[in-house]
Amino acid sequence: MSDYLLMAVSAIFVNNILLAQYLGNCPFVGVSKKMDTAAGMAGGVVFVLTLAGVITWTIDFFLLRHFDLVYLRTIVFILVIAALVQFVETFLKKMVPPLYKGLGIFLPLITTNCAIFGVCIINVRKDFNFMETLVFSVTSAIGFGLALVIMAGLRERMATARIPKIMEGTAVTMITAGFMALSFFGFLGMA
Amino acid sequence: MRDVIKMVVVLGLICGIAAALLAGVRMVTMEKIEYQELKFVKGPVIMEVFKGCTNNPIKDRFKLKYNEKEINFFPGVFDGETNVVAFETQGSGFGGDIGMIMAVNLENDTVSGIGITTHKETPGVGARAKDSEPFKNSFNGLSVNEIIRVKKDGGKVDAVSGATITSRGVCEGANLGSEIYKNLKSDILAKLKEIK
Amino acid sequence: MSIVKEFTKGLWAEIPPFRFVLGLCPTLAVTKSVETGIGMGLMLTFVLVFSNILISLLRKIIPPSVRIACFIVVIATFVVIVELVSQAYAYPLYQKLGIFIPLIVVNCIVLGRAEAFASKNGVVASIADGLGMGIGYTISLTVLAAIRELFGAGTLYGIKIMGPSFEPFTFMVSAPGAFVCLGLILCTMNLFGKAKDM
Repeated sequence: MSDYLLMAVSAIFVNNILLAQYLGNCPFVGVSKKMDTAAGMAGGVVFVLTLAGVITWTIDFFLLRHFDLVYLRTIVFILVIAALVQFVETFLKKMVPPLYKGLGIFLPLITTNCAIFGVCIINVRKDFNFMETLVFSVTSAIGFGLALVIMAGLRERMATARIPKIMEGTAVTMITAGFMALSFFGFLGMA
Repeated sequence: MRDVIKMVVVLGLICGIAAALLAGVRMVTMEKIEYQELKFVKGPVIMEVFKGCTNNPIKDRFKLKYNEKEINFFPGVFDGETNVVAFETQGSGFGGDIGMIMAVNLENDTVSGIGITTHKETPGVGARAKDSEPFKNSFNGLSVNEIIRVKKDGGKVDAVSGATITSRGVCEGANLGSEIYKNLKSDILAKLKEIK
Repeated sequence: MSIVKEFTKGLWAEIPPFRFVLGLCPTLAVTKSVETGIGMGLMLTFVLVFSNILISLLRKIIPPSVRIACFIVVIATFVVIVELVSQAYAYPLYQKLGIFIPLIVVNCIVLGRAEAFASKNGVVASIADGLGMGIGYTISLTVLAAIRELFGAGTLYGIKIMGPSFEPFTFMVSAPGAFVCLGLILCTMNLFGKAKDM
């Protein structure tokens, strides 16, 4: 149990997928302008990443490894994720309209979110077992959501601040992200 | 309806071509990849157990079947004679499987070196076994006909302090290696003659 | 004339990721050293050019409703080829780049060019576009990697540049350093006109 706890703390804070592992930076810059879109994206990622992590692990473990097709991982995983996102979108639209309203527009963006694909690949490359995969997927997604929401909060403040002209736009976002990453380094002693 | 058929046909066709192309590239690169993996992942460990050999053990490797599984064997040439053979074996440690390379002297059937290639042991505890010279050296000279144990269990191996489970795991791997060696010795000798 | 323009726009006017802020993850992750930066840039160029060619050729027969799926299959195929070839002929580089080679699949630049350019233009123009964007990306990565490696480790392409009294500024090779360094480069680019906002 303590192993899983350690893994969770590590994935959320110490090795945060966005700030320490450099995965999922496009949506990090793209949808962090407003708090509500950031929260929507974070929710979508937690939802899809959990499903995708578990499903790709299962396929890898029972099909690809079994038939010596590990070299096809990349192509199989991306297709599974694309199909999964499509399926989740249709399913939510029909069955859970309120949730669809909140997450719907973010789902297509998630297909090309490298955090999802990256975590699925890490799961199988590190030879995680089923429980480890589940814990790592969920907590990585939570770490992603946390960083995204904090960033959105900062950017909402920044919108009203006076920023030097040459730093406007993505430049100041990147530098802010740098300092956020630096502050997350403070968790290094924890795990 | 026609649209749907076209859709399925085009998608199927693209997937088919992609699969064929990839299978082709895979066939062409497979042997090379295997060599590169051995060279960069296991190579340093193999060279460690073969200190001072005059051939390229990875290039001279051959495969034999044991219990339905193919195992890589690496011959080592010393003083102009192929008198040592190393091969892959594995034991189970604290965190999972421990991948090992074990070298055996063909003349007197004794272990001439072991090395650890892959492991998931705890950093700072079991993981130290990989680089602990006294631990690894204490396997040298042990006969493949005796059961290899740590001193605590009445054997001759100096366990890594604080990492008994890992040390036992490596002993287990060495014993499996002895089994493989004893069962395949005649095949190994035949294969070596053939290469010559 | 327009072919030249398609090629050169990737080198300055729309150079990714400095002007055209896409494909950030590998930009940050593999620019610890010039070697990995150039390696990643060249791999991406290969995937970009070949997927552009194929998609441009197939653009008339791919039904619009499944075009994204088709693009993904094409791109993923070339990524797996890069993966296998680099594993066979450049194993140390393959090890250093790690999961970022398969991640080329989800690099927004590749899918973005397929969707925005190759699916609408002829083969020659698509090659020029892919080549320009790919080389532009390689240049960006090399510049960023050179700055980070020079200050973070005192070397360039593994060769020692700084004198013995130089104390490596390790902040530059860590994750926060990557973000800040990219931010400062974007500032510099802003001096020459505003980047496309996301």
